[in-house]
Amino acid sequence: MAGRAQIPTSNSALIAMIADEDTITGFLLAGVGNVDIRRKTNYLIVDNKTTVKQIEDTFKEFTNRDDIAIVLISQYVANMIRFLVDSYNKPVPAILEIPSKDHPYDPAHDSVLSRVKYLFSTESVASDRR
Amino acid sequence: MAEIESDQLQRAPLDETKVKNEDEEEEECILQFLDSLDAYLTLVDSLSSSLRQGWFDLASARQSMGHTRISSKLFDHKVHSASTTINIMELNADNPSDPKPQFSLSKWATTKENPSSEVPNNSNLRHRAPTGVLEDGEKSNGTQVSSVVSNDVSLQLDIQKERSKSLTIFGGLVSPKLRTAQVSFETALDKIVEIANARSSMLSSFSQLQLNKKSSS
Repeated sequence: MAGRAQIPTSNSALIAMIADEDTITGFLLAGVGNVDIRRKTNYLIVDNKTTVKQIEDTFKEFTNRDDIAIVLISQYVANMIRFLVDSYNKPVPAILEIPSKDHPYDPAHDSVLSRVKYLFSTESVASDRR
Repeated sequence: MAEIESDQLQRAPLDETKVKNEDEEEEECILQFLDSLDAYLTLVDSLSSSLRQGWFDLASARQSMGHTRISSKLFDHKVHSASTTINIMELNADNPSDPKPQFSLSKWATTKENPSSEVPNNSNLRHRAPTGVLEDGEKSNGTQVSSVVSNDVSLQLDIQKERSKSLTIFGGLVSPKLRTAQVSFETALDKIVEIANARSSMLSSFSQLQLNKKSSS
């Protein structure tokens, strides 16, 4: 498994979010919102005006930050940048695909489960996607 | 010739034991992988329920308070730290090629007024113990018990203060449904941390199985 660099142990790492407005609102109510001195937030609200490039850039930014432990991404958003999500293989931050209001969770699309399912099947993951 | 044969006879049971141990380790690894996979799927299902409840409560709050009062336009964009954070520990520090991070949730940390009131939240609720707290087997006197109780009360008050601060971005008087939505999303956070740990365990045992497969082929 890649990600052989040492995991930075941390006592106050953040949870980042790339999701719809309601999901972000809920988690901000739970106290995970953070705005740093550069006025950068630890979340991106995805709506019908958000471009795929914005989502990709935010995903890359969150996964390269040292102060983020977990990145929550709605699965329908992850599907828009599936190649990027599937090619991510570091242990930290952990990428967790979550359901959204209009798109229930589908284990067939989960990147972690896709990675490990070949243990149960002789076919490769790529052939399943065709 | 006789010496060679006796050497081979001695080595045979040792080889068998070695193979048996390797087989047992592999079976243990497979079991660990399957357990964490099962936990992952069960927790995701449970997370979906908590999120659904949270969205429903949020929709109810929006209906009673009005759409403009619960909107992303009201989010606080001033510099502030997250009250709920994650602690990361590396469980496999001796083996950097097989990292296994362990995540734990730290809810409603109040760092300004009272640094000792942080509430880490693993599966058991722990409090950062002030001095003079009870140890196992020690007898308590009235003063120690009352100091523990007052610390707990002060901790709860701090937590309530932080909770209210999160709610006040939507105004001074909020719908009770918004408070229940807050609780639902807090529950969802607990599950998210467990999912992250199940993921970590699953990927760690998966990589171990891959290594075993490569070494045996």
